[in-house]
Amino acid sequence: MVSPRAVAADVLVVGGGMAGAIAALAAREAGARVVLARRAPGATALSSGAIGVAPDPLALPGEPLRAAREPLEAARRLARLRPDHPYAVLGERLGALPEALAFAARVLAPLLAPPLERPRFLATPFGTAVPAALCQRSQAAGDLLAVDGALVVAGLRGHLGLDAALAAAGLERYRARGGPRAFAVEVDPGLGEVGLFRPHELARALEPPGAAEALGRAIRAALPAGAGAALVPPVLGLRPEARVPERVAAAAGIPVAELLADVPSVPGVRLQAALEAALAAAGVEVVQGALQGAGPGKPAMVGADEITAPRWVLATGRFVGGGVVRRGTLREPVLGLPVQAAEGREAGVDLAARPAASLTGAARSGPQPLLSAGLRVDALLRPLDGRGRPAADGLFAAGAVLGGHEQASDGTGLGVAILTGYLAGRAAARPGGGE
Amino acid sequence: MATRAGALSYLAWRALVAHPLRRLFRRRGTGLERFRAAYVAEGLGPTTPEDRAIGEAASACVACGLCELGCELAVAAPAVRALGLHAAFRLYSRSVAELPLATSALAACAGCDGCDALCPTGVPISRIVRHLRAKVLGEGAAPAQGDRG
Repeated sequence: MVSPRAVAADVLVVGGGMAGAIAALAAREAGARVVLARRAPGATALSSGAIGVAPDPLALPGEPLRAAREPLEAARRLARLRPDHPYAVLGERLGALPEALAFAARVLAPLLAPPLERPRFLATPFGTAVPAALCQRSQAAGDLLAVDGALVVAGLRGHLGLDAALAAAGLERYRARGGPRAFAVEVDPGLGEVGLFRPHELARALEPPGAAEALGRAIRAALPAGAGAALVPPVLGLRPEARVPERVAAAAGIPVAELLADVPSVPGVRLQAALEAALAAAGVEVVQGALQGAGPGKPAMVGADEITAPRWVLATGRFVGGGVVRRGTLREPVLGLPVQAAEGREAGVDLAARPAASLTGAARSGPQPLLSAGLRVDALLRPLDGRGRPAADGLFAAGAVLGGHEQASDGTGLGVAILTGYLAGRAAARPGGGE
Repeated sequence: MATRAGALSYLAWRALVAHPLRRLFRRRGTGLERFRAAYVAEGLGPTTPEDRAIGEAASACVACGLCELGCELAVAAPAVRALGLHAAFRLYSRSVAELPLATSALAACAGCDGCDALCPTGVPISRIVRHLRAKVLGEGAAPAQGDRG
């Protein structure tokens, strides 16, 4: 039996996705000694790799390109309509959103493109447009409002998972609303006779010298007249330092961008890797393993490490990350905090006592309490106990473990993770606990 | 009418003569042996408590595909990539009878354990793969390396 290695820190962050990493980086920047405990990649690695912050709640569904408000204004509108959403719960602190987004853009600068005043409108493989406040450099040239000329959706022969004709036909619908003309072409990535590729295999195969250039030349040969940009499946390299998007674009002679991804998502994996690189560069100690502990100030075991920190940030995610689990009823497994705060008419109901199967509604468009289940917090992001009081001194929560919003589908998941991670990390860095 | 009489007499022959005779002279054995004789050929072998534990662990898979990033199989064995190693226990968690479809993928597993740390829902992938591999390929077919169960 190996005796545990004792680690003392100012802040322990539990969870290594977007919320946890931003919290750790924000606390580190404020001068705290930070340890981050992570078990495995979670929902951030499964994301499209672009960062949606707040879709405009007043935009018409058929007019997605009109929803070009800047993130804070859109988030304020959303908060007014949805009182249980973390943006609303934060109250005035929602005003820190631009600062938090700028922080995320700065710490992830090698990967992310500089933000615009408005969201970028990025195309999905299904031919729909999704607003993103921040996106990767490899995605930026696909902004539907910025394409100069026709947009060419280039399917790659042998790639499982993209129907270029479907995507182009879908995007063509936006033409009357300010979008570009869209064409579909098929190109051969020139990778030999290996046959069918899964996305990450294609991404790896495009990294060696010559492979990205060959794809770029194949795109150039397939371009119709008047092409202004090309969209390709999201497979342009796993490692940003291989510079696959830049090499493809240079050989193609026009801007080349990736479509957003479905799982398994190469850009999502890239986003997770960029967070981990930023943690290492900032001097955050990352320990790997499941955490067992009783809360801030008491020792917590992660693998062979015993970590003691007076302030914790719980950023354990929701169902994918394991921050909320379903074992007959819904539970928060790390500290046993009550799971509450379903959105809409069920708001505030204590879900922990109810069987999870009773928490879904038949109406597709109605609120689904199960999908908004999570911790209830106050405006300082302190988790509340069953009586509405802070559950523990020095405890904060951030990201998808917060309840009150359907983070997987409402377009605010990574935005909430960045804002609450930033605020919780900065609050946890202060000995007073953020009052 | 002739058809009906023929059918009834056939049933009577089965019920009164053939079946009692077969019961009298059949090979006896334990319940498990008879079960195996009847069902193993169809891929429906008995489920041990160990199998059940493996099935429950496998059912936590959400089919996200993150584990495949760390799977050497993708590089080593192009012929079985279409299925993928980790599809083996996704298949298995639905139906035991479909497990043999994953034989070649399971046989190609290098046992590197690169997958375990990548699973968001904490599925013990390498343990499951080792168990399923032994099940389809016969005992003693554990991967050469990385057996740290």
